[in-house]
Amino acid sequence: MLNKSMWYSILTIACVGFIVLSIGFYQSIIVTTSANPQPATKAEAPQTTPDLTKLPSKNANSFKVLLLGDSVAKGTGDEKSKGFSGYLQDNFKNSTPKDILVDNAGVDGLESLGLLEQLQSRKLDKTISDSDFILVSIGGNDIRSILTMNDLAKQDQFKVRQDSYLANLKLTMKTIRTTNPKAIIIFLGLYNPYETASSVEDTRLLNTWNYNSQLLIEQDGKAIFIPTHDLLKFNLARYTSKDGLHPNSAGYQAISNRISKSVEAIITGS
Amino acid sequence: MFSLIENEVIKMISKKRLLFVLGILIVLISIFAYGQNQSQARTKAQLSQRMGISATDDWRKLADQQLIDMKNRLDSPYSDEKSKASTRVRMEQLQYNVDQNINPLEQSAAKFTTTFMQQAIFLFLPLLIIMLSADMVSGEYSSGTIKLLVVRNVPRWKILLSKYLTLVVLEVVVVFFAFVIAAVISGFFFGFGGWQAPVATGFKVLAGKLDTTGVLNVPQWQYSLMVYSLGFFVAFVVGSISFMISVLVKSTAASIGIIMSTLVAGNFISFFLADWKLTRYMFMVNLRLTDYLSGSFQPVEGMNMLFSVTVLLGWAIASIIISFVYFTKQDIMV
Repeated sequence: MLNKSMWYSILTIACVGFIVLSIGFYQSIIVTTSANPQPATKAEAPQTTPDLTKLPSKNANSFKVLLLGDSVAKGTGDEKSKGFSGYLQDNFKNSTPKDILVDNAGVDGLESLGLLEQLQSRKLDKTISDSDFILVSIGGNDIRSILTMNDLAKQDQFKVRQDSYLANLKLTMKTIRTTNPKAIIIFLGLYNPYETASSVEDTRLLNTWNYNSQLLIEQDGKAIFIPTHDLLKFNLARYTSKDGLHPNSAGYQAISNRISKSVEAIITGS
Repeated sequence: MFSLIENEVIKMISKKRLLFVLGILIVLISIFAYGQNQSQARTKAQLSQRMGISATDDWRKLADQQLIDMKNRLDSPYSDEKSKASTRVRMEQLQYNVDQNINPLEQSAAKFTTTFMQQAIFLFLPLLIIMLSADMVSGEYSSGTIKLLVVRNVPRWKILLSKYLTLVVLEVVVVFFAFVIAAVISGFFFGFGGWQAPVATGFKVLAGKLDTTGVLNVPQWQYSLMVYSLGFFVAFVVGSISFMISVLVKSTAASIGIIMSTLVAGNFISFFLADWKLTRYMFMVNLRLTDYLSGSFQPVEGMNMLFSVTVLLGWAIASIIISFVYFTKQDIMV
């Protein structure tokens, strides 16, 4: 009797289960193979058209600033959504009567290789050749993942990453310069968002990285390396955003102030 | 025919084999759930130490910030068209978390249940199935009861078919109970919710590269249904193969040994024979079907969901044919 009822319950489970599982199996095949399973289009924010059509500033009454590189260039982490495009504009306006136009081409998570590919795709050529200032922030994503490694692997990986990074950066600079030999290139150094949790050795690696970047950048007569490590070292709580990685609004403002001081003479002079 | 299957099922139950399988499931799932619970607490502690924030309280602000950033990224004309689909999907997930006030770091019963099958599908679940299937026919030889079976006035193929269908029934039962046990036990640890949460799927392999343009969110229950269905499919394939071996080999120990060593070898075969194209036609390397759903695989040229399913199906059908031909043709002498 017990066997009988058990048999029927097993049979029911088996039949129902078989049908349900078959449906699921069919679904999973569809979802992984079909050409396009219901395009996930929702009410998407309208695309802002890039300001590629605006007049070049060479003769007009305006400065053009181009932001290139990773999320820091883009302004990720700013709770007011301004980032460099907002603060640089504000700061530059104080020094010159001209209009300031900013193009933000920063991409989150971009590594040095990605930046190089972005430039070599030539889509940005027109924007680059129109720009008076090009702000570049790159490298953070190249180096970030080695932080969690053990000390030995860290040393090795650091060397490998730095070499490929410097090679990419060199080519990047070359690409920018072939398109626009005149613009002032502002290169942002790296800071350590995990300062409190990192060792002396980590800081040494970071400084090596920054130093080598600076050497490379300032081989170009019209490029300047702006350090950020010193600015944020003791101010992490004030200047980094809730994600613990990017600068926040105040952080972007502080770095922007530093940048605009560095290039003040160029802006007022011309 | 029906009564033959009933007879077989009752035989399996009285052999306590099914109970063993369920017992193993209960014990292991409890351990896993407990371990997950521990490691989650540790992760939280590490995170708050590292970032200087308490991730448990501040996740909302962080999520809001991430949402703004992702929205900006979607709006940016410079970001890559390909990455937009995945950004959109991540945004939907995060938005859901914010709307429902669920910390994305928290584990849930639904998540655990799905992950369990994703991890079990390539070794653990096949082993459970082998426990049931490996001695189905060879056991009758070992104990000598095969004589009693074949002297009955029933064609041999019917006997084997009833055994095979019993195996399929038991496969469904095992997958079903794996789901129920995982859902209930992890429910005690993490709460019973989370079945509506969106999960990203729809990854495809195009020309050896992971293509994320078709990514979309499905609710967790649907996702885990798909995962468990794939689990059942794997159980069906492995069950068929080990059923064949149990027909071919007359000793139960040898039958279990053969299929088990094949399975375990499959886990590192691709490591040694990475360049050898033929390995991809082996069933062991195609068992990780759920990876195609979650997109968490190393894309290999020429391997995709359809390929793997076809290969596995080929193995299963071949096994079934061999079993039946061999069983009906052979001489039975005990």
